[in-house]
Amino acid sequence: MTVNPFDLKSALLAKHAQHVVLIHFPIALFISSVVFDLLAIWNGSRSLSKAAYYNLIGAAITALAAVITGLLAWQLQLEGEKLRGNLRLHLGLGASSAVLIWLLAWWRTRQERADSSNLALGYWALSFIAVLVVALTGHLGGILSGVEVPN
Amino acid sequence: MKNTRWILGAVLTVLAAFAGITSTQHMAAKASDQPAAAEVKIDNFSFGPATLTVAAGTTVTWKNNDDVPHTVVSDDKVFRSKALDTDDKFSYTFTKPGTYSYFCSVHPKMTAKIVVQ
Repeated sequence: MTVNPFDLKSALLAKHAQHVVLIHFPIALFISSVVFDLLAIWNGSRSLSKAAYYNLIGAAITALAAVITGLLAWQLQLEGEKLRGNLRLHLGLGASSAVLIWLLAWWRTRQERADSSNLALGYWALSFIAVLVVALTGHLGGILSGVEVPN
Repeated sequence: MKNTRWILGAVLTVLAAFAGITSTQHMAAKASDQPAAAEVKIDNFSFGPATLTVAAGTTVTWKNNDDVPHTVVSDDKVFRSKALDTDDKFSYTFTKPGTYSYFCSVHPKMTAKIVVQ
């Protein structure tokens, strides 16, 4: 059952592995987006603000892939059984994270089209809530996957 | 006097051996009356023991001692547990001899096997 990390076929055909691999993209892209936004305010740089926007769009797209593969892992590896405990909590937090990222991406896209660089206070509040939820989801996912071992 | 000691020693030895054999037979008879059972512990992302040998008819029980959920799934789909939370158990009775390899579907690197004789 050991999968060679350099064996592309095994990696692609492993029923659950894609979620564990893909999930890192929306997490990294979203957190980078928030960091770029903060730097854009610090520097007053429009380029950094653009970078934040494109990172957020990347996070929104890859979040879709992470959600799909996460749901597939549930259906294929656990045969869609009713989840309990940490698995259910991870599902709920993951779904919330994805919705928050998509909501922010929609909000930000509207703002980009209006060519406005000032982000609303509500956008910042939602961003920080999303960072917390994403971090919590990732932490729980790390424990579930065995990357992080609980004390 | 010396011979009497030897005879007494020999008699005691024979009696002790007889008592031991009877006791072992009694225990064996008692054990065969009860259905055989064995346990596999799931701890620290591994099954213990990794290889368990049992007689046909034995019921094996897996207990999850980890803080994260695990499953018990045989490679050839003979048995499959639900996600086991901490302290949850799953049992399966092996009626046919053979080697049953299994893994945790949440953490496929966790593998082990049951050898049924």
